[in-house]
Amino acid sequence: MAVNLRRNSGRKSEEVDLPRRRFLGWLSSVGLFGSAVLSAMSNLVFIKPRATYGAPQRFSIGKPDEFPAGTRVAVETRRICVVREGNKVAAISTTCTHLGCIIGLSETGFACPCHGSRFDSDGNVTGGPAPRPLPWFKVTLAPNGELEVDKDTEIEPGSYLNV
Amino acid sequence: MRLALAIGSFVILVVHGVVFYNQFFHDWERHQSAYFDQARGLAKTDAERAAITGRSPRIEQIIVTNFGETRVDRCTTCHVASDDPRFEKYAHPLKSHPFSTAMGDVQKNGRWERRHKFSDFGCTVCHDGQGRGLKPHYSHGEDHYWPDPMLGFVTQEPWRKEFLPKLKGKAYMEANCAQCHTESTFAGAAQVERGRKLFFTSNCYGCHRIEGLSDGTLGPDLTQAGKKFKVDYLWESIVDPRANLATSVMPQFKLSEGDVQALVIFLKSRKGINFAETGLQQYRARLQDATAVVQATIKPVAITPASMVQQGEKLLNDRACLACHKLGGKDGGIAPELSYEGLLRAEPWLFDHFKNPHSTVPDSIMPTFRFTDDEFRAMSAYLATLKAPPKLDTGAEIYQTLCQRCHGEKGDGQGMIAIYLDPYPRDLTKASFMNSKTEARLLDSIKNGVGGTSMPAWSKVLSDDQVKAVLSHVLTTFTKDKRRDLKPSKAPDTNPVMASAASTARGEATFVKRCAGCHGRKGDGKGPNALDILPRPRNLRNAWFVNSTSDRRLFESILYGVQGTAMPAWVDYGMTSNDVGDLVNFIRSMNQKPKGSQYARSN
Repeated sequence: MAVNLRRNSGRKSEEVDLPRRRFLGWLSSVGLFGSAVLSAMSNLVFIKPRATYGAPQRFSIGKPDEFPAGTRVAVETRRICVVREGNKVAAISTTCTHLGCIIGLSETGFACPCHGSRFDSDGNVTGGPAPRPLPWFKVTLAPNGELEVDKDTEIEPGSYLNV
Repeated sequence: MRLALAIGSFVILVVHGVVFYNQFFHDWERHQSAYFDQARGLAKTDAERAAITGRSPRIEQIIVTNFGETRVDRCTTCHVASDDPRFEKYAHPLKSHPFSTAMGDVQKNGRWERRHKFSDFGCTVCHDGQGRGLKPHYSHGEDHYWPDPMLGFVTQEPWRKEFLPKLKGKAYMEANCAQCHTESTFAGAAQVERGRKLFFTSNCYGCHRIEGLSDGTLGPDLTQAGKKFKVDYLWESIVDPRANLATSVMPQFKLSEGDVQALVIFLKSRKGINFAETGLQQYRARLQDATAVVQATIKPVAITPASMVQQGEKLLNDRACLACHKLGGKDGGIAPELSYEGLLRAEPWLFDHFKNPHSTVPDSIMPTFRFTDDEFRAMSAYLATLKAPPKLDTGAEIYQTLCQRCHGEKGDGQGMIAIYLDPYPRDLTKASFMNSKTEARLLDSIKNGVGGTSMPAWSKVLSDDQVKAVLSHVLTTFTKDKRRDLKPSKAPDTNPVMASAASTARGEATFVKRCAGCHGRKGDGKGPNALDILPRPRNLRNAWFVNSTSDRRLFESILYGVQGTAMPAWVDYGMTSNDVGDLVNFIRSMNQKPKGSQYARSN
């Protein structure tokens, strides 16, 4: 530590230097440690993508008028079933909770063609290997007057949107 | 040491902090939060409140699959209120997209309904721009490497400043409307239709090919011009064709600013694809005979011999010949006047020239039009009827009416159309040249024209006295210098060296050694030094010129040079008559008499 030696020789006592040294050491460790934490956080966040290239999870399905009272219609591309009873609208998933097949509508509710899972009209399991009832998705009325389904938000089965 | 370490680590911390901030705090998050706040305040019903609760800022994207390649449009990430009619009066980016009946939006029960739903069409289908971008600079296409900046709204940094205000405006978006609405009657793309009409009336179709519209071969193919070029490049190429390519022969057409804009919009709409067609339809169209497709826009006319002349006149107007040429009141300002064509040129010459302009004027820039022979015959027949000589008295009058268009007001060879002629018109102010030629030789050039160039034989329009009058006008007004008495040169009248294979080979050897630097290895006047020389070296493969030039003239020019040009007197460099004889034999061997030489200048 030739530099320190020379510097010390120019000073009268080392005691003056000590708080300064401690401060510098503290500053360096905070700087380096902080950088490490920030970069670690930055990297960890990349594990979950902010956006994927799939179809958006929240989408519009059209105006309420397009679904007259009593409608039960499967929107295959979106994998949901739009149900309207009177003034109430709901969207039920048509992805089988067993192995992810596309479920079709049946007389008693839903039926999966792959392994014979059966669901009633509210999506509760009535037979077959499916472990869970079909989820219901949140339906909202967008400001432009169209119904919007948000597949990211599951809601309590049996809760409808009044239109 | 410790100080350096401390400062260094602190700086690293700050840098990390900045990176972290940029990575996790975005403008679009702020915009979305602002929107949610505003929307919560605006919500009146429970349903409206429910729609907004539970939403948090995130990247919104529309995947568009119906219009060509799949697009990912994330515009609604910032423009989050684009489909929320309550935000009509807000400032960007929280402004809602306007509704318009022109776009097909309809009002039902006091509510607007969009014809082009954003969930189906996305944003970039109409607007262009970079759909995936999340910062205005990138998403709007302001980055100058992005090929599709937002049409009519965004200009890029390196664009020419004087064009910028002209390249803005909603009209440019019509180019994208026309991607689906291809029918010419579509009211929403009026500018595209105007541009399409201009493409024919300004005779762009003569040189440029657009698949399914035209089949010119002289200029670049514009089938995909809209995909390849940005609006500033298109604008620049029309108003200043030589800006990007110094050797371009594209004329500068006389177009109003509105016309240029319409053409730019039309060209921007040419993307080589059409969203309204399926791949199968496009494939079928490509399989079709190309001429049949072109004939759908440039319909061939059935010529009846009885009304040939009238039909020829109509064709001359319909096919936009006067976008370049001058006839009667119309003047395109690019090509020679046709008013006295019936006197100047014979009908077969005209037909040959129509059929292939290079067969009669080898360096003409006139495109080869693909009209039928009957149509060419009718047009030739019409031009051949233009036989009324102008009534002109003084030399000055004659010069102004007949010569000025090419040779220029000041006689300096810089007339209105001079840059489109090859060879350039002679500079009549250059006394060293003018006074080195005998008056008989100058009179001969006026009377009999210069073979293979745009200089016609004026003796068919002017009397001998008139020719003399115009020459004396030229000599006194432009050349000015007193003429000296010229000693007759010692050049032989005919080539003393017999034409033979051995003589031609010797001539070629001399030519490569002495002449190729300017006249080019091929003798076409485009040698490596040619561009530095004015007047340009003579194209020695112009058969019309070479065959109409006597041995004596060739000998004079080679042995004693051409004064006022870069051609030196080769006698000073030790060239003998025999060497020149070999050269003349070589030059003549390159120019065998062309077919149809009965129309040579002697006729």
